[in-house]
Amino acid sequence: MTEHIVSSYDDDLKEISDGVINMGDEVLGALNNIETLLKNNDHELAKKIIKNDLIINDLGQSVENKVFNILASRQPMAIDLRIVFSAVKISLYLERCGDMCKGISNRVLKGDLNEAQSPETISLLVNMCSMVHSNLGIVMEDYSKKECDNSVKVWKSDSEIDSLYSEILMDILNSIKTNPDATDALVPLLFIARYLERVGDQATNVAEETYFVVTGEDLEGLEKTEVENETTF
Amino acid sequence: MVDGTENDIKPNGNYSSDNNLLIDCKNVDVFYGDKQALYNVSLGINEKEVTSLIGPSGCGKSTFLRCLNRMNDVIDSCSISGNIKINGEDIYNPHIDVVELRSRIGMVFQKPNPFPKSVFDNVAYGPRLHGKITDKDEMHHKVEASLVRAGLWDEIKDRLNEPGTSLSGGQQQRLCIARAIAVDPEIILMDEPCSALDPIATAKIEELIDELKTNYTIVIVTHSMQQAARVSQRTAFFHLGNLIEVGDTENIFRSPENEQTEAYVTGRYG
Repeated sequence: MTEHIVSSYDDDLKEISDGVINMGDEVLGALNNIETLLKNNDHELAKKIIKNDLIINDLGQSVENKVFNILASRQPMAIDLRIVFSAVKISLYLERCGDMCKGISNRVLKGDLNEAQSPETISLLVNMCSMVHSNLGIVMEDYSKKECDNSVKVWKSDSEIDSLYSEILMDILNSIKTNPDATDALVPLLFIARYLERVGDQATNVAEETYFVVTGEDLEGLEKTEVENETTF
Repeated sequence: MVDGTENDIKPNGNYSSDNNLLIDCKNVDVFYGDKQALYNVSLGINEKEVTSLIGPSGCGKSTFLRCLNRMNDVIDSCSISGNIKINGEDIYNPHIDVVELRSRIGMVFQKPNPFPKSVFDNVAYGPRLHGKITDKDEMHHKVEASLVRAGLWDEIKDRLNEPGTSLSGGQQQRLCIARAIAVDPEIILMDEPCSALDPIATAKIEELIDELKTNYTIVIVTHSMQQAARVSQRTAFFHLGNLIEVGDTENIFRSPENEQTEAYVTGRYG
């Protein structure tokens, strides 16, 4: 796309996109730390993640303010309107991701990992975190390049994270069945898995928005049938 | 997308979204002397909808608008070919009564142009000219009804004998709309009707357009993308005399199909 006649309009739009990209970087950093946190039960790192959530929130607020101003001053149309509208939605999704990371950190600070003593389950959680991190990284990379091919792949592959979530769920429930005394220690891990699964959902939401920015089409409407067909026997 | 050739017109496609086609233009070429202003334009306009014509200056949108009530006839050097039908009737048929045609197609211009007559006579002018009303009481009723419809009655009901030119710009433009609808047209053509008005007067005209569309088919030329988005159901983008794209307004401003349209509506057109 060529530049606007009014060059400051390009600057304003870039500031909004950059704000979203910065939020994405912060959330990816938080997910990276969550992976380490789960491996090492590092309480100092948990505190750092909680503190960094404020930065994510501030970045989200800044994106919102810029969107507010550009709507009032430029009345964007077509691709510009899609960029602006999607920036608001993506920043909300990323803010929620930050909240999930904060939630996991809070659970760790409460001592959930001390009690759990379930290295297999924690290992699965680490894998899940890695997958979620990878998916969000891919869609944010697409967003920054205004591309969407890889976002579509991520959108279609979210079921892998859901499957892993189900596997962790079954793993924990089986452990509880065989050792009911460990119930209090294991249940909190369910919450951590749930948080990660929701971050995975937000990654697919970002994929949908990126697809909308690039194509002007609704990914859910266009692709759902195709995905359903693929998974129907 | 319609790019002007008949083969590109899809039945029930973008050419016209519905079956309520009122104005049917096919392969319209317009020349001013040797200079071609419109190239093979085919566009359908639906009844009781607002259709916006947008595009940069000189793109042919006003020329196209003036084809619809044969206003271009008054320009000696202007020649038109192609086919324009309203309600299935070829308006360029030699047997057409142009004065009667224009009574069915009102027009509002960029600058309010009330006649140098009283407010009352401005509105009564058309019905008198066309001999539609001769009874005095009936004329009073018609003038009042037209001013009410134009959203002007309450503001100027005590000033009916004052010159139309003494009203504010926005009131003058609404007076021109009242004058246009006093002859009960089917279609109202508006050529940048708000470009000389302040935002309040513009809002009143837009509100009026919204109300009028229940009874009239409106075609509006506008340079304001936001106005097109606000008031119209369908939008047509012209460029260098070609109709580039026509579609539902929502789609044109959300995700136009054509790159030139997108460049224009986003302010990237250089």
